[in-house]
Parts: sequence; structure tokens; C-alpha cells
Amino acid sequence: MENVVVHNGVLKTKEELEKHYNPVKETLWTKMNKHKIFYIMLFPCLAFFLIFSYWPMAGLILAFKQYGFNTGILGGDWVGFKYFEQFFNDPRSWLYVKNTIIISILKLFVYLPFPILLALMLNDVKNNKLRGALQSITYLPYFISWVVVVGLMNRILAPNTGMINQAIESFGGDGSKFFMMEEGLFLPLVFISYLWKSIGWDSIIYFAAIVAIVPTLYEAAAIDGAGKLRQIWHVTLPGISATIIILFILSLGSILSSGFDQVYLMQNPGNANVSETIDTYIVRTGLQGGQFGYATAIGLMQGIAGLIITIIVNKITSKKFGTSLW
Amino acid sequence: MSNSMVGPKALRFLNILLIVLFCLAIILPFLHVLAISFNSGVDAQKGGIGFWPREWSFENYTEVFKQDNLLNGLFISIFRTVVGTVIGVALMSMAAYAMTIKTLPGRKQITFFVFFTMLFSGGTVPYYLVLTELNLTNTIWVFIIPSLYSVTNILLLRTSFNQLPFSVIEAARIDGCSEFKIFRSIVIPMSKPVLATISLFTAVGHWNDWYYGSFFVRDASLKPLATLLQEMLTRQAALSDILLRNSGSMAYSQLDKITVTSESLQMATIIVVMIPMVLIYPFIQKYFVKGITVGSIKE
Repeated sequence: MENVVVHNGVLKTKEELEKHYNPVKETLWTKMNKHKIFYIMLFPCLAFFLIFSYWPMAGLILAFKQYGFNTGILGGDWVGFKYFEQFFNDPRSWLYVKNTIIISILKLFVYLPFPILLALMLNDVKNNKLRGALQSITYLPYFISWVVVVGLMNRILAPNTGMINQAIESFGGDGSKFFMMEEGLFLPLVFISYLWKSIGWDSIIYFAAIVAIVPTLYEAAAIDGAGKLRQIWHVTLPGISATIIILFILSLGSILSSGFDQVYLMQNPGNANVSETIDTYIVRTGLQGGQFGYATAIGLMQGIAGLIITIIVNKITSKKFGTSLW
Repeated sequence: MSNSMVGPKALRFLNILLIVLFCLAIILPFLHVLAISFNSGVDAQKGGIGFWPREWSFENYTEVFKQDNLLNGLFISIFRTVVGTVIGVALMSMAAYAMTIKTLPGRKQITFFVFFTMLFSGGTVPYYLVLTELNLTNTIWVFIIPSLYSVTNILLLRTSFNQLPFSVIEAARIDGCSEFKIFRSIVIPMSKPVLATISLFTAVGHWNDWYYGSFFVRDASLKPLATLLQEMLTRQAALSDILLRNSGSMAYSQLDKITVTSESLQMATIIVVMIPMVLIYPFIQKYFVKGITVGSIKE
């Protein structure tokens, strides 16, 4: 209804109203001239993305070139697919790809139901003040830097003096384990800390979608004899499915980048085999190791794969569910 | 809030209990670190501190503010957060508003030009080389200029501006109000929740960012607080590793003489990094829930 406006006592859509005020066909130039102020407002924005997004895209050409510190991006010799071959011939590369995908699967698929579950649970708290207070607390970790979160983890999981180890010791166990260094604990810790940090924030959108569901739907379901769980299954979940799908498509594009900050900060010699991902490898070889061409080539493959996945998933969901990004 | 998911009382209580337990899991780690940060560092090394200091000491904090690099880092962080947020939010709202003008020639192409950068990017190394070529690396402006715009924030602003009552804007237009005045005196005042949200996101992004400070500047005097904390974490890991290997050696006994340990200093730094966040959070959080849900639910 919001597209309809009352104008001179007649209901009109916005588009009609706009036509009403632009009755004469203007030439493109006069039209643009009339909108001068908006182009001025947009100019820094376009310049920004041209410089900081499109120029680096052009810089991807480096994936096929020999970078020299004096020749710059464009000056070097062509090397063809050398860096790509180098990447695929290195058995370690497949380990990094595997690590990345495992972490991504944890964060995209395994994690997915948890914020929805929290939103459902919060929706069941009927005291508005209490619910508001609880919600505020659950959002808080989202605003805390990964540096701080990993700092907290290091402290709590520290050998001997950490809380967990002291608890183990008080029950007569061995409290000298440094959990952050354990290879087998890396993935569980990644998952738990990610859940801890993001679940509250991610539940906001689901919660808003749940609240937007018309109450009469529940009443109808209740009259039909549906219990609480069936109401959730047949009313709530279908009601928020569009939201779930949109968020899911948006996140799938990043399946080959599993979150740089968290993984990089949690890396240590103890878990190197499971914690090196494509993102951290790019920073290690490129920014820290100076192998610009090689790191660019890996980034190029990662970017193209992400783009293709997003486009495909978007096509499928728009056909099957009628929901899409664009 | 009037849907009729009424369940048995016990189930409802269990539900609240579970949420409360989760909230405790969020708060308690912070209280623990707070307690250690107010405890004498040497005493804290014995362990056993829960959520209240055992041997009160403010030395960790005086040490934080005595260390030149930490104090300097605090100033860098404040500078980039304030300047970056003010300029960024102003520029982003202007661009987002212009994108809502339906009669603007080229509007679709411009929106796509901006939106596409969300789907594909040049990646880390080309980005770094562009910053180098612009002579931004190793200057304070590398924290400000490359972070002025964010696509997600622009989209959020655009959606919110789109939902403003069109009739009010049109009425002002008919009254002969200039377009910029409409933007400044009608659109901006009516969009407080979303502007507060975007400001919060931008400010938090600046305050928490350690990446630019780690990889795009070399001078120690340019490192923001978050980067210094990250370096402390890394050094701490390396240090404790060495100490574990030759415990009882000279280094360890020397460490015993000072009451502030690198560990307790780190805890105090964590608290200093978190304080501004925790202070502004209660005031701004009522806005951001409204701000982010406005644009995200598809009707």
C-alpha cells in the first residue's frame, strides 16, 4: 500500500504522480542537468569504488605476470598460468582448500539452525522487558573484535591458570593442557566461538521476520489442533523461509573464504595442519612473503569460484522458491 | 507480540533458563578478564581468580597509560573512529539518497556498479598494491580513505530512504525547496534510526580493525590499539612458549620481580579496548534493531 499516495483527493501510485509532474518529454541532457545535485552527491562514491574496487580488479592481471618492485603491475613479463600450476602442483594447497571448506561448512550449514532456534526461543519469552534485556546481551559479542575474543579464549583455556584447566584440576585431572594448541580442538573451538559471537546478532533478522507473521495464522492452526511444535513447523518456518533463503544465498558466495580474522588469530604451531585456509595462505604468501603474483592467482580463483556459486545458487532459488537477490 | 504459542509453564521456564544460561556464558568471561585486570599481575599468575580480584591493584591500568605506544595507539584509534565515521556516514547517506531518486538517468547502472563490488573483488594483494601506488600505505589516511564507503551500509541506507513517505518530500519539492535542502532538512532528520545504526557499524568497524594496522602500516607510531593488542597476543604466545621451555631460567625469575605481567597488562588492554563499546552500547542498541530490520525483511 505504501506506493499509493493521495493527490488532490485521488488515489495515485508514485509512478503516476511522477508522470504527472513530468508531463513533457525531456531530452536526456536537460534531465541530467536537472539532477546535477544528485550526480555531485554520487561522484565521490563512484570515484571511490572505481579506485578501491575496480582498480584492484584490473590488478588481477598480476596473476599472469612476473611482479617486479621496479616494474609495477603492468611492466612485468607474462608468465601465463605458471602460478596456477604452482598452486595445483603443491599438495599442501589441497589441504588448505579442504580446511577452508570444512570451516565454511561449519559456519554456513551446521551453524544455520542455531540463530533461528534462538529467535524462536526469544519469541516465546512473553515479558517484553525481560526479552529486551536478554536480547541486548546476546547481541553484544557481535560488536567485540575477534582480537578480544581470541584474547579471552587464550586466557580461559590457558594451561594451569586458565579457568577450564583449574576446574579440571579441582576434580583431580591433569590441568596442564593448552587447549588452543590442540589440533583436534581447533574446529570445535572455531565453531563454538563463532556461535558465541554471532548467534545473537544473526537472530535479530529471524526474530523480526517471526514477529511480522500474522497472529491469525497461529490461531487458525491452533483451532485445527496443531500443538506448539506443529505451529512452528507449519506457520513460523514457512513464514520466515524467504528471509532464511536470502541470507543463505548471500553467505554461500563466501564458501571459499572462511573468515580471515578468527582463523588467523586462532592459528598457532599446534594446529597449523587444520588451521591454514586459503585466506590466511594468501596473506602469508602475498602480504608477508612478497609472492605477489602467486597470491593474486589464488585470490583470483577464490573470487571467481565465489561469484559463480552465488550466481548459480541465486538462479536455482529464484526458480524454485521465487526469492532472489536481484 | 500476540501470537498464541502458549505452552505449558514448565517448558516456558526451561526456555528462559536456557537463554539466561547463554547470556551468562557471554557476560562471565568479561567479568573474569575484568577481575584479572584489577588484580596484581604476579598474584594472578598463581591462578584461581574467578570474577572478583583477590589482590586489588590498579597498576595494570597505570601501566597501559604509561606505555607510550599504547597511549599513542589509543589516540590513533580515536582519531580514525571519529573522523572515519563522520565523513563516511555523511558521504554514504548522500550517495544512498541519490540512488533512491527514481527519475535519475543512469540510476540502475550506478547501483549495479556499486553492488557488483560485493560479489567480486580484486583480492588482497592487488588491493594492497593499489594502496601502495596511491602512497596511502604507512600514512594515517590508510585507515580513513579506503574505508569511507561500504556497500552493505549503502544498501541499508537506500532501503530505509526508500521507505520514507514520498508525499512529504514531494510536497517540499512543490514548495520550491532545493533538493539538497530536502535531503538535509527532511530526509536526514527522518532517518535517525538508520543513521544511528550505520554510524555504530562504521565506528565499531574502525575501532575493532587491527588488519589495516598490521599489514598496511609499518611505523609503530601509526598502529591503532586493536593492532597493538593483536601484537601483544602473538608475542604473549611466543613468550610463554619460551618460558615453558626453560622455566626456572633467568628470564622467568626476572619476570617475577615486577608486579605487572604481560598477561595482566594484556587483560587491562582488552578492557580498555572494550570500554567505549560497552559505554555507548546501551544508548544506541534500541536504534540498531530498528535500523537493520527496516531494510532486511522482504515483503
